[in-house]
Amino acid sequence: MSNKDHNSEPHAEHISSYREHFGTWVGLILLTMMTVFISVFGADLRTLSVATALLIASVKALVVGYYFMHLKYDPAIYRIMMGIVMALFTVFLVMVIFDYLTRN
Amino acid sequence: MNHTFTLPNSGHNYDAKASKLGMWLFLYTELLLFGGLFLVYMVYRSLNEEAFLLASFNLDVWMGTFNTVVLLTSSMTVAMSITALQLGDAKKSIMLLWLTIAAALIFLVVKYFEWGAKFEHGLFPGMDHFNTLPPGERLYFYLYFFMTGLHGLHVIVGGIFIGVVIKKIKNKSVNKNRYQLLENSGLYWHLVDLIWIYLFPLFYLIH
Repeated sequence: MSNKDHNSEPHAEHISSYREHFGTWVGLILLTMMTVFISVFGADLRTLSVATALLIASVKALVVGYYFMHLKYDPAIYRIMMGIVMALFTVFLVMVIFDYLTRN
Repeated sequence: MNHTFTLPNSGHNYDAKASKLGMWLFLYTELLLFGGLFLVYMVYRSLNEEAFLLASFNLDVWMGTFNTVVLLTSSMTVAMSITALQLGDAKKSIMLLWLTIAAALIFLVVKYFEWGAKFEHGLFPGMDHFNTLPPGERLYFYLYFFMTGLHGLHVIVGGIFIGVVIKKIKNKSVNKNRYQLLENSGLYWHLVDLIWIYLFPLFYLIH
């Protein structure tokens, strides 16, 4: 019998280390400080700061998903389904934007 | 040969993969729920940019930042508690889960003071001062109270979920070899964190 038989060991999976979780946390805190700093002290860069804030938020969301939610080490199916959900949301987003842009 | 029979769905069958997949499917619906609200926010913000900007000055950036740090830290403790249980250290796992619940309570207390200040200023929908605001600012507060309120509800549910898991680790029905329930509660907690990651810049940092 093969040791790699996944059905025989329901939890034979990657265990994240404490150090890795702590490193993830440090990264997230730094990104938070960055976004607050840009918002509070970069008020003259208004439209730019909204785009940057959303970009930083998305980087943080990816870090939480990949490391804390373990997507990086999980089977691809979870990432694929996440991609489908994001694609679905993008469809809604584009449809709403077109709706409002084409109104009088 | 010794055969033992367990009826399907009698509670004796444990399928970590199916359980995890089910949790993720639920989380995808949660993402679309909040996604819809973010679309509403986007539309009304683009139609009332100045009003949203003015209204956002009523929020305290530092309270929001503090709560962001609290939630990120709690996400780390719940992730570490999974590591602890996988390594067989149930005591440490429970301790880390209590820290997560403590963070949830701190978050809610800060929210209580934030909302309390809004109530004092009459900014809750239907209050006198609220009724005198221009429509754009009223929209901002409708969305603020609805979205942070729904998020706060998720914080409460997540805290209760984690409390249930603590109890089950104590009576050993969640253990080193059967920890999917702990992982699911962790996933739910991370989702709460994930939503806050977007709520924070959109409501507090738009100026």
